[in-house]
Amino acid sequence: MRQIHTAVLERFGRFSQDFATEPYEVGWAEEAIFFVKIEEVEGAEPTLTGQVQISHDGMTWIDEGTSLPLIRQTGVVFARVRHFGNWLRLSCRVSGRDVKFQGMISLCLKG
Amino acid sequence: MATVSAKRSPSEYEVGLSKFRPLERILSYDDFDRGLNGWTELTGNYQQGKMAVSPGHERFSDLRPPMLSSATFPFVGTHGSMSGIYSLKLATRARAAGAGEEILRGSFSQCLKRLTFQELGLVQFEMWFTYKPEADRPGIGEDEFRAFGVLWDIQDDRYRYFPAVRYLNAANGVVKQKWQFAQAKPVSDKAWAGNFDTSISEDRKSAVGAKPGIDPQWFGRRYPDGSTEGFRDIAEGAQRLCYNETFDKINWHYLRFLVDSSRREYVELQCNERTYDLRGIQPTLADAYPRIWSLLNLALWVEADTNRRCFLFVDSAVISTGPSSTRPTRRKGRSR
Repeated sequence: MRQIHTAVLERFGRFSQDFATEPYEVGWAEEAIFFVKIEEVEGAEPTLTGQVQISHDGMTWIDEGTSLPLIRQTGVVFARVRHFGNWLRLSCRVSGRDVKFQGMISLCLKG
Repeated sequence: MATVSAKRSPSEYEVGLSKFRPLERILSYDDFDRGLNGWTELTGNYQQGKMAVSPGHERFSDLRPPMLSSATFPFVGTHGSMSGIYSLKLATRARAAGAGEEILRGSFSQCLKRLTFQELGLVQFEMWFTYKPEADRPGIGEDEFRAFGVLWDIQDDRYRYFPAVRYLNAANGVVKQKWQFAQAKPVSDKAWAGNFDTSISEDRKSAVGAKPGIDPQWFGRRYPDGSTEGFRDIAEGAQRLCYNETFDKINWHYLRFLVDSSRREYVELQCNERTYDLRGIQPTLADAYPRIWSLLNLALWVEADTNRRCFLFVDSAVISTGPSSTRPTRRKGRSR
């Protein structure tokens, strides 16, 4: 039977500026889905974008090429990736005026 | 040269239990090459009226999810584990408050395994482990890793108590390298945990705060030398573990922590070749909480001392129980 594991990378997170999730080791997994669940949005013209990033050492990061759908309101979006090596993180940009997003970021792994 | 005869079945070598000394009943044997095995991040308690953490647990609501690590470093590549590839890894964020301040969110990572007990008696945790700060900058980093610890959270019909040991490695950049055990100083509830609610009452209509002795890994005042109101130094408890000479050479260590739940006492701590006699020492007893009867939780944690991530790796772990024995002769831990 295959392994499956969901790691909550940000719990009750408050995002008002650019950020990246903490490095997470995923070498055992074959597939991954980042889920971003936004529960509250404040400010004018809010946007949150995210790029999946990979790394050979957990410290140097490069875009994997997969992006989150643009987030402007509450709801759930996801980004699916495969063939990612040992590390994954989500690098996010927050823009708008006096903007704050609140929510959770989870990483669901299977392998 | 004297030899020790070892009668081992092939299956014992296969499962790797031969490197442990479990008691009579093995409750769990977790080799992290086979997954996380139920080890999960500690999360705080929640408010009853909304989906939010209790105010008293807000500071401790980012204890970081454990992960399966291949122990991969930039210059070495993959170190792997003691047996196989994967170990359980706890990782802090790259931040820390001073040793004399309250812990900073994310500077402290804790995970646990949640069980209940079948009988009172000896309860033992064993693990093969190692620890490092992140290999992200020059500097060996042994003065940037504050502490790791092992904690039992036990509740019987009368009391909840937390026998715990902590390896204080460094405080505010000063290397300490000594063992401590949990035993709260006699302080007020407010001095211990502040005016915050952390748990829900029996009737679910009110909330209560933590009493002295509860969660000693973070409650109680902290001091710049690394001491806290929750821990005391183990007698002759200085021990220089093999840190090795770089931030990316890891050596695996053995730890065994034994308590007696029928006496509500510590018994002993072993780390590598050293055994510390803790018999007769009692952890701080708090009145029993609702809803956690027969609780037998085992938690591991790691604390950063600077803005450098700190990691605790566990190759494998065993939780076992056995009948309480008669009190043996006291033995002293050797100091190095």
